[in-house]
Amino acid sequence: MAYSNKVIEHYNNPRNMGSFPKDEKEVGTGVVGAPECGDVMKLQIKVEAGRIVDAKFKTFGCGSAIASSSLATEWMKGKTLDEAEKIKNTEIVQELSLPPVKIHCSVLAEDAIKAAITDYRKKTGSNGSV
Amino acid sequence: MLGEKDSFAKSLCWNCHSEVGGEYFCDRCIKIQPAPSQFDYFQRFGLPRHLTIDLQDLERRFHELSRKFHPDFFQRGSDQEKAISLENSALLNTAYRTLRDPILRVGYLICLEEGAVKDIPAKAPPDLLEEILELQETLEEYKQVGETASKKRTDLRKVLLAEQERIGSKEMVFEKELFSLFEEWDRMQDQRLLEKDGQQAHRRSLLQRMKDLLSARTYLRTVLQDMNEGLREHHP
Repeated sequence: MAYSNKVIEHYNNPRNMGSFPKDEKEVGTGVVGAPECGDVMKLQIKVEAGRIVDAKFKTFGCGSAIASSSLATEWMKGKTLDEAEKIKNTEIVQELSLPPVKIHCSVLAEDAIKAAITDYRKKTGSNGSV
Repeated sequence: MLGEKDSFAKSLCWNCHSEVGGEYFCDRCIKIQPAPSQFDYFQRFGLPRHLTIDLQDLERRFHELSRKFHPDFFQRGSDQEKAISLENSALLNTAYRTLRDPILRVGYLICLEEGAVKDIPAKAPPDLLEEILELQETLEEYKQVGETASKKRTDLRKVLLAEQERIGSKEMVFEKELFSLFEEWDRMQDQRLLEKDGQQAHRRSLLQRMKDLLSARTYLRTVLQDMNEGLREHHP
């Protein structure tokens, strides 16, 4: 299957690949998986004063999953938790021109965003609007 | 088979327009008929929606139906007959390949049932995902350490080989557990014909367990495949 140029671009130059130490208190971690294909995605956020100052990801899966998570970290940076939570998988699909069979990759990225935010809130006991 | 005969009776023969009473051939003009589109793979073989399948019996049914539909027998038929025989054969082959394999079979059954039970969310086992992530990271480290012999490389390879074995046997355990649920499902299917109340919750939880095991197995297989490749390509 042919990937769109944007997917290839993210795949070749992934943004924000890597990880933060999980135990740091300003870090939220989300680990999610796609049961259909066995892809696994880890997405982390670093939060300061309710705003995401940095984000990192590690994805073991296909090009679309890597591109989706790369794009997600790019979009999350600078957003408040509430804003980041509103990122929809459909926006990722649109931006990367994902074909129908790869939509689950964008869903995975959306789930990872939510999981990371939830983890951060649980950790700090805050609702993010501090 | 419950209610199947009713669905046959509703369709009309494309050739003589009488009600089709037979399974795949019109009773009256004996022309081949397309398999009813609402037929699932089990129904195609006249089987109940059970997970334990006698493979010899399935093969026998497959050959019997194949012989009926085979495009060779319709070479001198009309275009319509040729097309129907071709389509029936193709569908039959797909159905056979799916039901023959226990993993494809249970995956297909879950898909079918999800339509009826409304989508069952796939619960991602967090421990398992963490474990896989760690493995993938070790594998990545191994790939990056370079081809030249070093202690680090030897150590990483040793770890990965041990993990390969551990994950492989873990997959077997999951598979065994999944297969052990087949009988439970079949028993429930049989009882359902007699008693309809109070089965919904049990049915749902059983499907959920099978789905979770199936997805856990997929995660393990994916990481195992990556490990196999990584260890092969970066040979000592």
